[in-house]
Amino acid sequence: MTGQQPSPVLAVDGLTKDYPGVRAVDNVSFSVEQSTVHCLVGENGAGKSTLVKMLTGALRPTSGSMRVGGSPYEPSNPSDARAGGIATLFQELHVVDELTVQENLTLGMERSRFGFLVKSDLDDRVVRTLAAIEPSIDPSARVSTLSVAQKQIVEIARAASSGASVIIMDEPTAALSEREVERLFAVIRRLREADVTVIYISHKLDEIFKLGDAVTVLRDGKHIATKKLSEVAGRAELIEMMIGRSVLQTYAPRSTVTDETVLAAEGLTSELLKDVSFHINRGEIVGFYGLVGAGKTEIARALFGADRVSGSIRFKGQSVGRSPKGAIASGIALVPEERRTQGLFTSLSIRRNISVMNTRRLSSGGVFRSSDERAAAVEYVQKLSIATDSIEKYAEKLSGGNQQKVVLAKCLFADADLLLLDEPTRGVDVGAKTEIYDIIRQLADAGTSVAVFSSELEEVLGICDRIFLLFSGSVQAEVTNGPDVDPASILNVVTGGGAHAVQ
Amino acid sequence: MSDETFITLLVASVAVGLFVVASVSVPNFFQPLTMLNLVTNNWAVISLGVGVTFLLVSGNFDLSVGGVVALSGVLAVWFAQSPDGANPLSTGLGFPTWLAIVCALGGALAIGGLNAFFVVRLSVPSIIVTLGTMMVARGIAQVITQGSQRNTNLPDDFGMLGNLTMFGTSVKLPVVLMVILVVVAVFIEKKTVFGRLTYWAGENAVAARLSGIDTAKHVTYLYLFSAAIAGTVGILLASEFKSGFSNRGTLMEFDALVIALLGGVAIAGGFGSVVGMFFGALILAVVTSAATGMILSPDWQFILKAIAVFLAITTQTWALAWRHR
Repeated sequence: MTGQQPSPVLAVDGLTKDYPGVRAVDNVSFSVEQSTVHCLVGENGAGKSTLVKMLTGALRPTSGSMRVGGSPYEPSNPSDARAGGIATLFQELHVVDELTVQENLTLGMERSRFGFLVKSDLDDRVVRTLAAIEPSIDPSARVSTLSVAQKQIVEIARAASSGASVIIMDEPTAALSEREVERLFAVIRRLREADVTVIYISHKLDEIFKLGDAVTVLRDGKHIATKKLSEVAGRAELIEMMIGRSVLQTYAPRSTVTDETVLAAEGLTSELLKDVSFHINRGEIVGFYGLVGAGKTEIARALFGADRVSGSIRFKGQSVGRSPKGAIASGIALVPEERRTQGLFTSLSIRRNISVMNTRRLSSGGVFRSSDERAAAVEYVQKLSIATDSIEKYAEKLSGGNQQKVVLAKCLFADADLLLLDEPTRGVDVGAKTEIYDIIRQLADAGTSVAVFSSELEEVLGICDRIFLLFSGSVQAEVTNGPDVDPASILNVVTGGGAHAVQ
Repeated sequence: MSDETFITLLVASVAVGLFVVASVSVPNFFQPLTMLNLVTNNWAVISLGVGVTFLLVSGNFDLSVGGVVALSGVLAVWFAQSPDGANPLSTGLGFPTWLAIVCALGGALAIGGLNAFFVVRLSVPSIIVTLGTMMVARGIAQVITQGSQRNTNLPDDFGMLGNLTMFGTSVKLPVVLMVILVVVAVFIEKKTVFGRLTYWAGENAVAARLSGIDTAKHVTYLYLFSAAIAGTVGILLASEFKSGFSNRGTLMEFDALVIALLGGVAIAGGFGSVVGMFFGALILAVVTSAATGMILSPDWQFILKAIAVFLAITTQTWALAWRHR
């Protein structure tokens, strides 16, 4: 970074965002130099995405200011951000599969006369931009024929040709293979040479060292440091800054864990998973910890039979994993990742939600026993302390935490011997979180096996007896929880540092 | 009170309200016979509405029911006609009546099976599939009747079922069957696991699958169930008129859809009830019978139906939004 002008392309000053009861971003100030790759790191919940949303105009800051190229910048919606020269590459791609690459690049910028499209210099410009950053993509190809990585590059080219001076990339490598990652990095470096600044958000620390010029670390909504990467003394220092000493150790060893294997998975392999093997014991709480895209949900769905993978899954000696129906019948229940779209029947009452996985328990000859059904709903509402005035209340009208409890109740009602909980406390308030943890411990004490799939370190360290650390589709290490577990080394493993000690 | 109860009450009060308005303003409307006719004249559409309602709640359309009515009626007549007729249209297969009925029902179920196959196995949108099978069913009926009707050379007992009067009154068997069907359907919908599965599958198909529900099997049953009702209606109509007519039941699929929508059944699935559909049918019946033939000429019936549909759907959307504000 020689010959750099000192004027920053983007500066934030005292930026704060309050949500009811939470300060998601707390008085953050830092600046981003022009033509650099500026990395943004922090644990889940550190405030990265809130910060990005303020930069892109999706959220208004509670207080504080932003400046782009020296002039004040107050976006109130995403198109303001684009006009200000800030483009964003989200994890979900926004390309139109049915159009060609070129049509995608000019989408929304077409010139027309009397409703007919006319050719303009725009077409030449976008083709040149694309050729400059990735010559191997044919502008006349249909986008549907491209790989995910190529689509991403199309989106980057669109941002670059629309005149953006800053491109924010949120976990762009989550869905890419190693070779594709290399290609994306080459594209990013070429963008930098073309005087575009990239704000790069990733959990994968190797990528940050490989690519970044500077890094900003956030923790619990606060700004910890902004440093040149050449001044950072390796992964250990970065991890130290990310976690501080904030990981609470609330885990107490449980005495009811048996060594009787309930579930054994051998060599699970799919597009993402690479030869994943593990076992779960009766009465044990097992954690699967990894970042977004590490394969947690894939493992949970494979065990439940929701997606087919190769490899063998044996539950209580029988082969499972063919269908959710079969899984439930053999005693496995899943609390899925997205409660509203995958777990709940939102326009039905709590009562009509609870029985779905085990209708036999409440019916005789295919007819519901109304009084039993009501009694069961009342019982589970009390058991999980679901805050509602009636079992006839719609699931839709409950708070996030209570909705999650209804999904949990549904699974508990199935009388499963193995519960798979995918992000069980995502979007759940602190009170409900603690209650859900208590329920999980009680279940395990009573002999149920529980697998928790989580991207929150505090969560797995708080409740799990044994933790599998995942990185990009494979189990990197197995950790037995206890007072001497080192959060820093766990974070090192799941960010791609391998199962060795932190250097 | 749940949204469902609320909408059902809303629909019921509109039906009663319209009835009162019609009774006051239309001469000779408020008579026991007129009231009875509101239901008895519409037994066919209400019966079809039961199957259509269940399918809509499960998130699927069934536009084939009108075609199935024509097909099963024509098949029953063709199977029952004696084989020694003077011309092709009076020559059938000479089955005994009971066998002709069973085989005609089989034809109806085949259409239901075809619907289920395309919707469930090949994942083709149900509105397209059933639009296709609607034409297939009516098309076969048209070929068998050569675009006209078969009404000769039938055994005497063929006309029995459709014209049988019950309990010493003028109420015919099909009307009684319709009432039984509605009562049974309400029971299934409210009290049984089968009914609940329909809501689960329609409300959130992803969650249903992850909760271990075999949605494919359930939707297959619903299509067979709907086709069986439509087949029975077709056979009863053929028996009543002692004829198999390829244009019978034309537009009945739309009437069945309309009364379900008037009754508050949601096109998106997961919401609605048979009772609502029944009151929806009453609304349509009051509007069309009170106005056409008494105030306006019957040519106005489509306009009136259209107005009723638009008003009903707007009112429901507005009422639900108001409840949730």
